[in-house]
Amino acid sequence: MSDTRRAGDPELTTYRDVQLSPDFSELRRRFRRFVFPMTGLFLVWYFVYVLLADYAHGFMSHRVGGNITVALLFGLGQFVSTFAITMIYVRWADKEIDPPAERMRTLIEGEDQ
Amino acid sequence: MSSAMSLTAIGLVIAATIGIGLFGLRISRTTSDFYVASRAVSPRWNASAISGEYLSAASFLGVAGLVLVNGADMLWFSVGYTVGYLMLLVLIAAPLRRSGAYTLPDFAETRFESAVVRRLCSGLVAGIGSLYLLPQLRGAGLTFHAVTGAPPAVGAAIVAAIVVINVAAGGMRSITFVQAFQYWLKLTALAVPIFVILITWRSMEHPVGLLDSLQGAGSEWAEPLSHAGGRDHPLYATYSLLLALCFGTMGLPHVLVRFYTNPDGRAARRTTVVVLALLGMFYLFPPLYAVLGRSFAADLIGTSPDTVVLELPSRIFAGTTGDLLGALLAAGAFAAFLSTSSGLTVAIAGVIDQDLLRSRLHRLTGGDYLAVNSFRIAALLAIAIPYLAFNLTKALSLADTVGLAFAVAASTFCPLLVLGIWWRKMSVPGAAAGLVVGGVAAITAVLVNVIGPPSGGWPKALFGQPAAWTMPLAFLTVIVVSKLTPHRIPRGTARSMVRLHTPEAVDVDRGLPPA
Repeated sequence: MSDTRRAGDPELTTYRDVQLSPDFSELRRRFRRFVFPMTGLFLVWYFVYVLLADYAHGFMSHRVGGNITVALLFGLGQFVSTFAITMIYVRWADKEIDPPAERMRTLIEGEDQ
Repeated sequence: MSSAMSLTAIGLVIAATIGIGLFGLRISRTTSDFYVASRAVSPRWNASAISGEYLSAASFLGVAGLVLVNGADMLWFSVGYTVGYLMLLVLIAAPLRRSGAYTLPDFAETRFESAVVRRLCSGLVAGIGSLYLLPQLRGAGLTFHAVTGAPPAVGAAIVAAIVVINVAAGGMRSITFVQAFQYWLKLTALAVPIFVILITWRSMEHPVGLLDSLQGAGSEWAEPLSHAGGRDHPLYATYSLLLALCFGTMGLPHVLVRFYTNPDGRAARRTTVVVLALLGMFYLFPPLYAVLGRSFAADLIGTSPDTVVLELPSRIFAGTTGDLLGALLAAGAFAAFLSTSSGLTVAIAGVIDQDLLRSRLHRLTGGDYLAVNSFRIAALLAIAIPYLAFNLTKALSLADTVGLAFAVAASTFCPLLVLGIWWRKMSVPGAAAGLVVGGVAAITAVLVNVIGPPSGGWPKALFGQPAAWTMPLAFLTVIVVSKLTPHRIPRGTARSMVRLHTPEAVDVDRGLPPA
């Protein structure tokens, strides 16, 4: 753990440069603009589901067929939607985060050496 | 339940766990193998291992027991356990990997450059870990009691002893394969009895219908936000539970370290997708046990609901079929106790060793000791404390205790991580104050539950599910104290931020061991 660490001797100016660089703030902004609203949205979806279960009782206990009610489908939908959100995030990160990251890498490593 | 058959099954699980552990020991010898060896493992195996470690007694036995007593609201436990992983992936996983910290105290130290914050984190890791170990031991006691009639303390002692042997021998370094094996064992153990029941049902003439509990009078328990089981303010309780599970997972000591077992962020994302699928598949089954349990084993509601999973087969099938299925479930349950307890013990022991024990031992012996022995003593302590607590406290239900561990994690590590990673103006006193205020509030709630829970109404709801007030309180404390102490923002914040937010391909110094 900590004893396997290299004693780093970071070049503070490089870090400052990176932090102030438009690429870095763009990367962070891009990440925040996607991740925070998405987190908010899926929390709202879970919380609204709880409310629906209470206040839209007739709708939720409506039988779609046999013993299968709307509530049951929605309940299973919680798992499906969690999975779907993850897939969306993974796709997004592969497409939107990795390429600019690659650009920054060339930038920094160019400065370092 | 036939005790001979179940005991054989439990014995096989224990033998396999120790066997695979020892076999793995020969492949991996160095400390870093624990993390690095599994980097050669594919995301699918890795995901099985993560799921295997995550699915504890609370998932295997506890969720079914809670649904049996309290009805449909408790299904949120399964959803919340799963969503917690998503939160971890989206908000924390990538930056934390980049920080180069293996553990939460490591992260606290690199980000805040403060020994005080580090020590607070270490104490909390030990506290949350012990609180999480407690229900594992309790589950082991229950299972052993159900199988043999022996007092619960015996079963708990067996699990504690095996975990210490395994961890101290270093067998858990090859943890990945043991855990992966245990995931599939747990899934099989839960799934097979359900399928056997469904398939053979038509040919049986049983006086009770499979879905009796969901129809007609007495089926209110299955309605959402019912007051079944004497829970007041179900809407508050449900929201609070959801918050604890969503934001608590990221603060569990044995979960975070697992994200290092992937070669890069991309693989970590792939792994999480598989983990969510595996967890989702697993959680389809416990509610079925609860529904069937309401039909066939309603007497357990008042006596010991956490054993419904174990008891169900023998209530439906007389003779060998019931015995065999019961044995399979007992084996699966032991796999759950062993895998989670081992992972937790390794995590807690690491912290006790590094932050509490090693320096003292060094002073006591004048440096004349082996570092490995310090870790072994730490492992013994890590499980002895919850074992003592298990013998001293009254029984809270398995999943409830785990829910409280999540609440403590959500009220302490969640603000530390989320604000620490995203907020540049967080100060050292802010971080420390948040940990103390959130920790004290949540732990008080835990103690109230353990010592003497309020009889009803709002006090019971607020202390029973504290996350909804303790978590915002902790966030608020961090923000207010940080605003008041702007001169105490760590000097290296700019560097930390670059480190946390530049993708890992970029060669900034992260303090990572060379790959």
